[in-house]
Amino acid sequence: MSVQGSQQEGHVFQIRWIPKYTFTERLLHWVHTVSFIPLVITGLVLYLDALRPLAQGEAGQWMRWVHRLAAILFIAEPVIYGILQPRRLWMHIKEFSFDRDDLGWIKNAYGYYVKGRHEVMPPQGRFNTGEKMNGMIMIVTWILFTVTGLIMWFGKGWVAPELFRWMVVIHDLTMIAAVSIFIVHLYLAVAHPLMWAALVSMRFGVTSASYAAEHHSKWYYGPKRAQELFEAKKKLASSKAQGG
Amino acid sequence: MVRKAMLIDESKCTACRGCQVACKQWNDLQGWNYSQTVNSGSYENPPRLTPQTWTRIRFREYESPEGFRWLFLKEGCMHCGNPACVHVCPTHALKQQPDGRVTVESDLCNGCGYCTQFCPFGIPQLEVKGIISGKAKAFKCTFCQDRTDNGLLPACVKTCPAAALSWGDRDKMIAAGKKRVEALKARGFPKANLYGENLVGGLGRLYVLVERPEAYGLPPDPQYPVMTTVWQNIIQPLGKIGLGATLLGTLVAWWVIRRNIKMEEVE
Repeated sequence: MSVQGSQQEGHVFQIRWIPKYTFTERLLHWVHTVSFIPLVITGLVLYLDALRPLAQGEAGQWMRWVHRLAAILFIAEPVIYGILQPRRLWMHIKEFSFDRDDLGWIKNAYGYYVKGRHEVMPPQGRFNTGEKMNGMIMIVTWILFTVTGLIMWFGKGWVAPELFRWMVVIHDLTMIAAVSIFIVHLYLAVAHPLMWAALVSMRFGVTSASYAAEHHSKWYYGPKRAQELFEAKKKLASSKAQGG
Repeated sequence: MVRKAMLIDESKCTACRGCQVACKQWNDLQGWNYSQTVNSGSYENPPRLTPQTWTRIRFREYESPEGFRWLFLKEGCMHCGNPACVHVCPTHALKQQPDGRVTVESDLCNGCGYCTQFCPFGIPQLEVKGIISGKAKAFKCTFCQDRTDNGLLPACVKTCPAAALSWGDRDKMIAAGKKRVEALKARGFPKANLYGENLVGGLGRLYVLVERPEAYGLPPDPQYPVMTTVWQNIIQPLGKIGLGATLLGTLVAWWVIRRNIKMEEVE
């Protein structure tokens, strides 16, 4: 049987692409990425003993310079977005807020993401609970990084040393939180076998319709239809379980 | 190794400022830009410690019950026994030598300036070449490391014509300081005291004072900043464990899901 033949029969996996992220959203994401990664690298040289040679002397001054350049990008990018498209920024913040379905997602997330069990997950919007948590943590850490960073950058000698010390410590804590989340985010995006569509969406702005129907049904079908489908799925699963 | 210290007898200081000059000469430091000197209502000069001024005499005009009195204080690094600057320095440019001297190696410094903010005395000075680029270097008194490493006296001690400065084993300096305090008390200075014996892990710069430390503008009870401990001994090690655990957990999760999905495909 030829490949063409099977395609005609409709058995081969065919993908219908639907738009998910706008160009601006993707641009924002990748500008954030290219500023965040150098910030982490040039910051970690002060933290990890193995990288200390890079923190010393001339090399260290370069690191601090790169850290500042990247910081300008890191700080400016959401600010510019907020000025140009304040309503979309507000929309994202609303999109990131939690509801009742998120509890069910958290309960089943371990079985789904780690064990690979196709448990019945509550319907999700364009962003699922994990993505929303990531988004919220990004917003909070951005604020903390920006405030503490700017005070450390321009406030040295102007603000009280006690305040400066707090800023250093909060900056450090924020880094630990942000990098931990980043590790998980990176893993889900590039390595997790079930999450193959995420990186495609962030690169090309589209997602597969069937992936969206399964993972983001509230966004794909609308909340009401998604809830109905979810109930039906649950019923089917429980009758299957009873049947043996 | 026996801890070394400098004993500064402020009752003998005449404020000739020979120590300031000797310090600049030996350490090859620039002079103050005197075209910019303004009258600040005091004889003291330069007006503050700078990256190029590692020691200077502070002038205080003090009204004691016995009448007007000049109080002179030779400012500079205290070489704390428990140096916060060393503990926060991410480059190891700041080091505590086995004999207690707190030294700074310019070549290693990247100009982060944490030392200037964590020092309980505000001593290290940051020479900022650009606020945007962050190009900077921190400087402070090293007890003339190159001299004292070779058995010479610090330049300021060597030059002091009033013999107000001495340098040697710390316990001997403490004994001499206490003896001097007793002598001063007997001679009509009831408030005479030795400053620094037990402060911040024991200072490497001990002062014989004729008035309370506050009168000289010295903090009576300087504290090792608690944030140093919180940051260096709690948050940083815990953070490394947290980041490592996240990385490891992610790897394990990856291994588990790959195995589980393969098993499903077999089914």
